[in-house]
Order: sequence, then structure tokens, then C-alpha cells
Amino acid sequence: MDSRRSTAVQFFMEEDNNKIVEWLNQAALSTDNTKTDYLRRVQEIIINKDASLLDNFLDEVLGFQNDRSGDVRKFIVGFIEEACKKDPDVLPKVVANLSMLLQDSSVQVQKRVIQAASQVYRGALAWLAKARAISEEMEAAWAMMGSIKAQIVNMIDSDNDGIRTHSVKFLECVVLLQTYPEVDSMRRDNDFSLEDVPLTLKIARRRKLEEEANMVFDLLIKFHGSPHVSSVNLMTCMGSLTLIAKMRPQFMGKVIAALETLHTNLPPTLSKSQVSSVRKHLKMQLLNLLKHPSSVDYHNNITTLLTDLGATYQEVLKSYPKIEELRRRQKRVAETLSSSQAAVSASKKSRLDIDDDDEEEEEDEEGMDDIHSTDVHHKKHTDLAIDVTEQFIVERLSPEFAAQLVILSMAKLPDSMPPNFSAMYTPIAAAGTQGQIRHVARLIATQLTAVGLGPGARQAKKLQVIPKAASLDDDDDEMPSSTKSSISTVVSGLMEKEKEGRLKAATLLPSGGSLKAVKQRMKTLKLSEITRPLENEVMLKMMADAVQRILKAERAAALGGVTVIRTKIITTLAATFNRKVREVVLNFLLEDVRTQLDLGFAWLYEEYSFMQGFNRMPAFLKQEQSPEYSYNRLLCTLARNLIERAEMKDRDVLLARLYLEAPLITEEATDLLKNMCGDETRAPVGLHLLQDLVTRRPPKQLTFLNGLLLHTAHENPEVRGRAIKAVVELYDRGDLRSIIEEYAILYLGFLRLRQPPDVLFGMDRGRPIKSDVWSEDIVKVCLYLYLALLPINEKLIHELTRVYVQTVADVKRTILRLLEQPVRGMGMDSPQLLKLVEECPKGAETLVTRVIHILTDKTPPSAELVARVRDLYHTRVSDVRFLIPVLNGLTKKEVIAALPKLIKLNPVVVKEVFNRLLGTHSEGVNHTSPLTPAELLIALHNIDPSKCELKTVIKATSLCFAEKQAYTQEVLAVVMQHLMELNPLPTLLMRTVIQSLSLYPWLIGFVMNILQRLILKQVWKQKKVWEGFIKCCQRTKPQSFQVLLQLPPAQLSDVLATSPDLQQPLLSHVMAFTENQRAHIPQSIMDVLLGNKRPHLEEYDVRMEAMSPSELTIDIRDEPEEIRSEPAPPGMD
Amino acid sequence: MPATSSLKVAVICSSNMNRSMEAHAFLSKKGFHVESYGTGDKVKLPGPAPDKPNCYEFGITYDEIYQDLLVKDKTFYTQNGLLHMLDRNKRIKPRPERFQTSNDKFDILVTCEERVYDQVIEALEGRTPTDNSSVHVINIDIQDNHEEATLGAFLICELMTVLSQSDDLDNDIDELLHDFELKCQRPILHCVLFY
Repeated sequence: MDSRRSTAVQFFMEEDNNKIVEWLNQAALSTDNTKTDYLRRVQEIIINKDASLLDNFLDEVLGFQNDRSGDVRKFIVGFIEEACKKDPDVLPKVVANLSMLLQDSSVQVQKRVIQAASQVYRGALAWLAKARAISEEMEAAWAMMGSIKAQIVNMIDSDNDGIRTHSVKFLECVVLLQTYPEVDSMRRDNDFSLEDVPLTLKIARRRKLEEEANMVFDLLIKFHGSPHVSSVNLMTCMGSLTLIAKMRPQFMGKVIAALETLHTNLPPTLSKSQVSSVRKHLKMQLLNLLKHPSSVDYHNNITTLLTDLGATYQEVLKSYPKIEELRRRQKRVAETLSSSQAAVSASKKSRLDIDDDDEEEEEDEEGMDDIHSTDVHHKKHTDLAIDVTEQFIVERLSPEFAAQLVILSMAKLPDSMPPNFSAMYTPIAAAGTQGQIRHVARLIATQLTAVGLGPGARQAKKLQVIPKAASLDDDDDEMPSSTKSSISTVVSGLMEKEKEGRLKAATLLPSGGSLKAVKQRMKTLKLSEITRPLENEVMLKMMADAVQRILKAERAAALGGVTVIRTKIITTLAATFNRKVREVVLNFLLEDVRTQLDLGFAWLYEEYSFMQGFNRMPAFLKQEQSPEYSYNRLLCTLARNLIERAEMKDRDVLLARLYLEAPLITEEATDLLKNMCGDETRAPVGLHLLQDLVTRRPPKQLTFLNGLLLHTAHENPEVRGRAIKAVVELYDRGDLRSIIEEYAILYLGFLRLRQPPDVLFGMDRGRPIKSDVWSEDIVKVCLYLYLALLPINEKLIHELTRVYVQTVADVKRTILRLLEQPVRGMGMDSPQLLKLVEECPKGAETLVTRVIHILTDKTPPSAELVARVRDLYHTRVSDVRFLIPVLNGLTKKEVIAALPKLIKLNPVVVKEVFNRLLGTHSEGVNHTSPLTPAELLIALHNIDPSKCELKTVIKATSLCFAEKQAYTQEVLAVVMQHLMELNPLPTLLMRTVIQSLSLYPWLIGFVMNILQRLILKQVWKQKKVWEGFIKCCQRTKPQSFQVLLQLPPAQLSDVLATSPDLQQPLLSHVMAFTENQRAHIPQSIMDVLLGNKRPHLEEYDVRMEAMSPSELTIDIRDEPEEIRSEPAPPGMD
Repeated sequence: MPATSSLKVAVICSSNMNRSMEAHAFLSKKGFHVESYGTGDKVKLPGPAPDKPNCYEFGITYDEIYQDLLVKDKTFYTQNGLLHMLDRNKRIKPRPERFQTSNDKFDILVTCEERVYDQVIEALEGRTPTDNSSVHVINIDIQDNHEEATLGAFLICELMTVLSQSDDLDNDIDELLHDFELKCQRPILHCVLFY
């Protein structure tokens, strides 16, 4: 049987040998993929079918490793892998080939080598572990393997994504191989771990291997957290880490921390869908971890993370390990703790004990139990860093602090939302709860620890054991620097602050400087670490000094041609820095405003830009005040400075520039200007500026106009006058008319009030003391502007009448008095005035009268005016006084008709009437009157006594006589002549005659003539006239004797009876006649003269005359005195 | 060009019936080395009512299902296209295959919905590692109906064509997927796993 079998074997072997040789030959000859087919067949036989052939054909197959085709080379790698798996003893033969192929030009081949390397390495370690003795060959192979490992570790930085991916996988394998499993470790078939490495193995010390594994693990963590990792690498790495955590639970804490870090620091380079892939992957990895029993300590962290990633409660719940399993685990852990050596518990208790490290160093090869303790220690070590920092943060994470953090980080937000943010963002469900705060703290702690900051990290640094595996040293350099430089987040800034606060706690600062130096060759210079903040005072002083220097460098800047830049620097400093800097620049400006005004403007505009949000204030320059405040303050300081320095040259121009060129005039600045106007000396500038501002700064036109208007009612006449002038000019421009008018009318309206309103008083109006009564001055205040506008817009007159009606007497009086000027300016032809006369609102009659008076005072009334007044008189207001101003415009008939009423008025008014009629007081040469003086007097005489009392008429005539210019003796003669012709004779005829005679004695001859003619007209028949006749005769003796003698005897005797004093002179007169002359005197006359009785009849006749009123006689008797005593008052008031 | 492609592709849906088979048919016509799988517990097909699906264990052949449905309601299943679909499927391969039980290795796994993607990842991670060869898992959401399946097959084929043209897929895939995503306007999930 045996021999037969052996023969058969022999036969088959022969057969195989031949086949292999043939295939190999064909493979060598053929091109493209048939080559691999042949090789695959060869491999099938020499590896799987008959391992003894492997040795024979190994070299032949390996010869293909230089084949041109990448596929063939890849195959060779696969072949090597398979061969090693089958028979580790070939390793020394193939390991060099593997190393060569790792340098292959084809990426595919390289990847295949890396992929194979995991298996080969593992095989190699197992091979060494099983070997009874280590030959030199083995040692060399292991060394070669080590160099391959080192190369692959380096490849994690390769440019090729795939190579990195596979490198990660290889690293995972290294970590798993060179660490110890724990009780909870996930087990897989044919697992190999450090446990399987015998302690006696000299060339591969457990301790060294483990250190190396820790290094590699750290490398993986760094790679995982590097900022520009690709999504594929990231997910691979994530998977590897998870696997490591599951199989080597001692790394659980670090892995979870890494995942936490990742969650908050997703690489910015990822696209949206990559982000979702990564997040999904992360979620799955976490769920995987959650299932693992040894993650129980981290359930909180994992669950929070999962919730953040959008996992549902059910999903999370499903992945929780079974409770019994957990319980079993706890029990196990407890057992381990109690049964195993004290080192474990000791190290757990004294977590931070540095001595632990030393212990470790000493108990180099004590055994796996000790190493167990190191594991525990290591695990606690990272947790600790984060935990300590987390605790540190939780204690400090008050709402205020959180707010500060948020505000600080605002400035660092990107302009647009990164695509992954929207993908990542999950709403925070339980904001503000303790749990959430803890979560946030955890997140921050993760970040801080990742960049080596925070109390935890500091402690960790102290504890850090620096791996000595030289082969790995090279790979470390890039990672730390790249991670470190990427931290420029808020958190680091925050930590700097805390550092300052903790400077005293010097014991916590990293001490292992020399150790670190090895590790961080590329340590970046961090200014914040080597510098300390200046004392606040010193800093402020230096800041101010620096600004001073810039300010003083004006000339230098101009020479260097950088004036613009200097200005920009100064303005930016002034606008954005603190108050101190502000003051320095401001003082500089104020020292010489004239030359520095441009700089001032630049600053002003800078502030304006901040105010309007054109510029954004850098967040680190926290402003004490709002930009509005700063702008306003600057503007007002400049303005105030200019306003107060009246002596300065060009002050007015500069001030005008400031106000006209500033981007915005604030309210306060306007008020400054307004106040300036209140002062007499500065008013002209201020008011003029205000006026300019109204026209040139339309947006705030009304504010400035208001400022102007305010001053139109100022107490000071200078200020007021200028203000009114300015307003009137603006009014002329037109577009502001309605506003100005409204204002004027508003003030006019004040007059209706019982008391002057408060608004009229105050310092700014020039009237500090409030008055309760309408004094004339106060009334004027309300009228100034109005009256100034009136001539421009005559329509406004109607407003006045409306107000006038409702005012009190005192106010009315003042209004009437003030009206003269403007009304005169408007003139008689003003349609608005005519309209006013025409409409004459009820109660405004005095006003209208006054207006008419003013109009006609100096000039004769126009026909239109007359017509309107006449209409008014006839239709509505029957007060005859209305007519007075227009008398001269009326017809003779009208005047005569009105005369009785006119003369009944107040004597003063009557006098005025007469003045008008007679034109005695008007300077105009062209004075026309409807009545000549003679006609007037005649008209007076003709007044019907029933219409007017005689006494009134007498007074009127007396007035006439007083006007000697008008009533010359000729005029009076004409009048007397005219009157005498009337029939019946006017009652006052004789009185007038006597008066005329007393005024003009030269008229005696004329009067005698009159008397004689009166006799012819039988004057005695009118008793009054007769009495006057007698009186006249009495007065005119002896000339009247001739006339008396012509009377009939009866009448003569009546005369003599009335005035007996005449009898004797008359008789003497007759007696002095010559006989001849005497003969002409009738006897009857003589009888009377001589005292003979007169016939009764005639006497009776006389007595039958109507009795004249007694007063007439009295009047006549008193008359001369009365006339003389009468004064001649000129005007009316 | 695809004919020479060395990429090994698997298209995976829930029941290995509609979407994966549509793509399978299309890709194999285009010359790809393609397989198809389902990840569900059972092979589920629409029944007379939404709550009464037809369920079969994996392992049953397409033909058996075909016969079963033929008996159940020929007109109904003709009308909704199931019979036609099964007829096509049985020409491609005998029976639905479950991904979890397969040991084949691929370069690319295309899944047709997120749930399937999750299941694939779970399955792969649950395996004992063998040679650490990598595989790209790519998810393209495709609704489970005839029209979308056809459309999805086109998309998958397009993507595979692009990917097969790459010299170094591992290095290029990120970019290629990104471009493809922009083009097809569907979210794509992707990760790399190891056998």
C-alpha cells in the first residue's frame, strides 16, 4: 500500500513537476493576462497541493517579480503572501522580495504589498513565537520585516489615497498584534496577540512591541484627527480604531475621545455627501462600540454623540448590551480587581501618580500582569486628560461665560455656511440643562485635549511616556505640528486667558522639556506662550504714545507720500480703539483745528462708516460706546470748539465747512448751532449757517429751518432781525413756504390764548422769565414773523383777522398798532386787502377800519376801495365811521347825507373828518375833496334840525371856523352870500355872520350889506335869526345904526326893547344928523327913538314868534369864549 | 472598454429581485464582471395587498417563484410586471442570493438604498478578516419600482464605466463620485471596507 501510494505520489509529483515547468515556461513566453493564469495554476499546485514543491519552484516564481506587467507583479505579491501563510519558513527567502516590491513603481503593486504585509507580518511574529531557537536567518528576516513596517508606517503620509488606506489597515494590524487582549476583548478565530509572544523572545520584546503598538495607535489617532484627511481614509481609520477599541478595550477611551473630536471637527474639505457618509459611518461605528460591553463607562458620551448624529432612541436602545452581560462583566472586573495584584488597583486609585511611571520603567520584564496594569494605566491616562479638562470646564461654564465664548467666536465664523454644517447640524434638544452643559464641556474638553491644552492635557503631558522605538520616531514630526497649527479656534484663545489666571500654579506646567524636544522637533513658535500681557496702564500709555508719534509724523508722512495712509491709520485708530486713543487724537485735532480739519473729517467719516455699518468693527475691539455715540461726540466736540473760539481766524468758514461737509448732523450738533444763534455776537454766523444748511442739506432741512424759525421770535432785536431776514429769504425761494407760513400762523394763533404760552419763554428765546399777561412786547413776539411775511404773501392777512376776532382787547390794540407798517406796504390796490374789506368778518370791524385808515391816511382812497367800503356801509355795517377814511372818494351828495351822522361822533373824530374833507392835514397837493370848504359850511347850515341837534351843528361849524386856512374871509363871504339867499334863512345864519365878523373885522361892510338885505327879507319873521340880527347890530354899532334906522318902527322898537343900551347911542347918532338928513327919518321912527309908545299890535306880532330854545341864546352869548378855549388837537388818538 | 474591465462589481438591493437584477442585467450586457445580491431576511415580492406580500426564503429559485405566482393569480402578476421580471431574472441566474452568506470578494459593492448599505457594512464588518483587500461600498438611492430600477441601472452603469476607466481607483474615487453626484443629483454614500 505504502509503496504503491508512494509510487503514485511519485508519479503525480513527476506529473506536477512537468506541468509546473511547462506552465512557467508558457507564462514566461506569453504576454498579458494569460501569464497570470499560468502562474495562478502554478501557485495552486505548489502551495495548495504539494508544499514540497514550493521550495523547488519558489525562485522561479519569484523571478516574475520583475515582470513588466503590474498584474504579474501583483500576483507575485499574492504568491508571497500565500507562501508565507503556508510555510513561514520561506519568510527569510521572500522578505527581501517583498521589501523590493514595496518600492514598486506601480501604486497597485505597492498597495498589494501593504495589504499582504499585514498577513506576512503576523505570520512572521507567530513564526518567531513558535520557534524553538532563533537563528540568524530569522533575526535578519525579522529586521527586514521591521524595515518594511517602518516603510509602511511612513506611507501613511503618501500622496495616494489608496496607499494611505491600506497603510491604515496595516497599522491597525500592528496595534492588534502587539497589544494584550482583555477579558472583554472581541475574539476572532486565529487571533494573535502579545499574549502569544513568549517572554523569552529576545529579538521581539513584549514591552518594546507594546510601546511600538502604542506609538502606532497614537499615530492612527493623529491621522484620524488630521484636518485634511480624505473621507475614505477617515472612514477606514474610523473603522480601524473601532476595531481596535473592540478588540483591545484598553484603548476604548482614547478611541471614543477621538470620535468625539472628529464629530466636532469634521475636515472642512469634505463635500456634502461625504459628510453624510462620514457621519453615517461614525454613527455605525459608535453603535458598534455601544454594543461592546467594555464601553459601558462611556455610554453617556456615546449616547450623546449618537443623539447629535441623529440616531433615534430606539436605535440606541437596540445597541445597548444586554443587562446580564453587563452584570457579568462587572462581576468579572471585580474579580480581576480583587484577585489580581495590588498594582492594578493602586494605579487605578492613584491615577496621577508619577511614580507609577518610574515603577513601570523598573519592572521591565516582570510579566504580563504588570503590563496589564500599564494598560489600565494607559487607558485611564487619556480619559483623564479629557475628564480633568471637562471637569475644569464644567465648573466654569456659566451662561455668561458661554455667551462670551459665543461672542468671541462670532468673528471667526466663515462668511457662508460650510456645506457640512447643514448636514451635521442637529437641533439641541435640551439646551441649558446640566446634561447639556456637561456635554458641551465634554466637547470643548475634547477639542482642548486634542490640541494639548487645558489642565488635563498638562497633566497628561507630565505623565506621557515617550516611546523609544526609534523606527517610529520619524513619523511623528508632521502630525503634531499640523494638528497644533490648526487649532486657532476660540478655545485656544480662551485657554490663553486661563493660562494667565493660572500662572501661579507653576507646578502644573509641563516639565518634561527635554523629553518633549525629541518629539516635537518642529515646535511652532507661539507668541502667546512666550510673552506676557503688559500691565494695563503701561499698555494704555504705550498705545497713546504710539498714536502720538503717528500724529506728529505728519510732515514725514507728507514727504514720504503716504499722507493718505497716515490719515487712514489715524482715523482707524481713533475710531476703533479705546477712549484714551480717541482723546489723544481729538486733542491733537483741537490744538489746531484749522489745519487739521481734513483729518477731522476723515475721522468723522470713519465713525460714520461704523455707524452706518459700512465698516465692520473688529470683534476684538470691544467698544464701550455705540458708534452713534462716538460719531456724535466727535462732531459735537469739533463744533463746540469752533463755536467757542470766536477769535480764531476763518472760524466762520471752518464752522460752515464742518456743518456742510459732515456726513450727518446729529441732533446735538444742531442744538449747538441753535444755541450759538441765541447769542447776539455769534448770531449772524449761526443764523447764516442755519440758512445755508436748510438749502444745502435737504434731508434735515426741517430741523434747521426750525432752528431758524425759533429765533424769529427771539427777544434780542439783532438776532430776531437776522433770523427773520433769513427766513424771509428762504420764504422767497418758495419750497418751504407752507412750513414757514404754518409756523407764523402757529405763533399768531398763540394770541388767542388767555396767557402767553410757555414756549415763548426760556433762555433760548432770550426771555428767561415767564410772563402771565399779554404785554405789548409779548404780543409782538407772536407777530414778528407774521408781519414780515405779510407783505410777501398778502393772503396771510385773513389769518390775522381770524385770530384778531378771538383776542382780548389789549392784544387787539397792539395788533392794530403793529399793523400800520405792513398794511401801508401792501397798499390800497392789494386785492387781499380789498377782499378783507369786502368780507370784513364779524368782530373785525375795528381791524378793517384801521386798515382802511392806514391806507387812506396819506393818500386819497382809490375808487375800488371806496366802492367796497360803500358796499360794506350800505349792506352790513352801518357805522358811519367806516366812511371817514374814504370820505374824499365819496360823492358830494353822499358826504352831505352822511354829514349829520358824522358830526355826531366824538369831537376828535369829527375834527379828523373835517381835516379830510378840507384837506388841511394832507401834504398831497393833489388833494381832492368832494366838497369845497364853502360847500361844507353851507351843508352844515342846511342840516335838518330833526336829524341833528343844533348844538352839534354849532360845534361842527366852530370847527370850520377854526380852520382859518380853509375858511378865508372870501370863503365866508361866499358862504354868507349863499346862506342869505336861502329861504327860509338857516337858523345859524346870524351866528355864522357874527363869527365871521369876529374872525375877519374887515367884513364889516359886507355884513352891513347883509343886514340891510335881511331887513328886506323881513328878517324879523324868523325869531332866531332876528335875535341874531339884533345881537349882530349890537356888536356892530355904530356901523349898524344906519341899518337899524332902516327897520320899520315896530321892529326898531323891538330892537330897542331887547337891547335898551342901543337906544341912547342911536338917538345921539340921529341927533348928530343934519337937519336935512334928519328929515329923511320917518316920524314913526323918531317916535320910537324918542320913547313914544309903539303900537301894541306889532309888539304882539313879534311875541307870536315861535320861541327859540333857550340854549341857543345862551350859546350865542357864550360863543366867543367857547371858540377861543377850544384846543386844536391834531391826531385822533 | 467595459469588456476588458477587471473590476468586480456586485449590485445589492433588498430582495435581489428588481433593482439589483435590473442593474445586473444591464451591467453584464455592457460586459462588466457583475454579481447581484439581496440583504433582506427573505425574498419579498408585492402581493395582492400592501400588507400581504409574497415572502420566500433565500434559496428558492426564480422559476419556483414564477410558478408560484402563476398559480396564485396569473393576470394580476402579469399586469403588475412581476412575472415578466421573474422571467428576466431566471435567464440571468437561477436564484436570488443573499449577500450575507456570500463569500465572494469584489472591488465595488453598489447598494440601492441606505438600509441595504447599512446591512452590507454590518455584514462586512462582522466577517473575520482574511486578506485585508479593500472594497468600495457605494450607495445610490433607487426607489423600488420598475421605472426607477431601469433608471437606476443606467446610473449605476454610468458610474461603473467612469470608475472602470480609472487607473488608480482608490485614489480617484472621491473625485469621481463627487462629479458623478453633481451630475446625477442624488446623494451618494461611500466608504471603504476590507475583506
